[in-house]
Amino acid sequence: MIFVTIGSMFPFDRLVRRMDEVAAATPEETFFAQVGEGGFEPAHMAYARMLSRTDFMAKLRAAKLLVAHAGMGSIISAMEVGVPIVVLPRQARWGEVNTDHQVATARWLEGRPDMHVCFEDEDLPAVVAAALKARRPDAVVDRTAPKAFTDKIAQFIAAA
Amino acid sequence: MDPPARPRRILAIASGGGHWVQLQRLRPAFEGCEVAYVSVYPDYADDLGGCRFYTITDVSRVNIRKLFVIVPQFICIMLRERPDVVITTGSAPGLIGLAVARLTTRAKTIWIDSIANCERLSSSGRQARRVAHQWLTQWPELARPEGPHYWGAVL
Repeated sequence: MIFVTIGSMFPFDRLVRRMDEVAAATPEETFFAQVGEGGFEPAHMAYARMLSRTDFMAKLRAAKLLVAHAGMGSIISAMEVGVPIVVLPRQARWGEVNTDHQVATARWLEGRPDMHVCFEDEDLPAVVAAALKARRPDAVVDRTAPKAFTDKIAQFIAAA
Repeated sequence: MDPPARPRRILAIASGGGHWVQLQRLRPAFEGCEVAYVSVYPDYADDLGGCRFYTITDVSRVNIRKLFVIVPQFICIMLRERPDVVITTGSAPGLIGLAVARLTTRAKTIWIDSIANCERLSSSGRQARRVAHQWLTQWPELARPEGPHYWGAVL
């Protein structure tokens, strides 16, 4: 299953519409999308407006690929369960977000293992196809922050 | 021998999505402490396995009308938890949480700006300077001698 998420209720129809086209062109694959309150309703994917955290994690664990906005919640969750990710950043010029921090996030993430970055929605079908064929890394990302960071916070707590 | 120190009480605050996921990655820092969590969606309690959890109203940026709801919510939480440390990974609700903690408790406060803000601190993050004892960014490029400081990142 390919899991598509826009990360919140805030509309991101550019991603949903393009993935609905990918779903139409890929009948051998199943898709599930979390689409928020955008006006576009997918015709070729099962979907929900919003998922609880538990349902989101269950869908993610069952997925072979996550296609998401470039939000850290979606990205870190996928890394922690070892699901490869395609990200399309939300852009301020389309009213999808207030600032272009997701574009900066996507640039920073580009080149990481299991991370497939797409800057324009018309490239999404090709990036998704490449991600499905890509070789997977052997290592899984830890579920916790690096110890040096958590140790510094622990010291601050002990001194409080 | 000194009596064993009482466990530190921590209040850990994050709004939805990436803020919450980043806070969860810091849990090893809270080992041996009594931790209560605060967020904006009740189903996030599912991530915690029985820790105390409070749901507060979500605010995006600071909206005067919602302040009348969220400030009393935080005051109740502070009175109940009496934290030694209040830590947040953002966003606006975390900023308000730190401000209420400074006014109602003697807790030490930490702001950790989201790793998503790699070019500029978030607007809540910029205001957090005034209420955080430790004001942190996750990007060394954004750190300054007078703050925000860089101690590391969640990834």
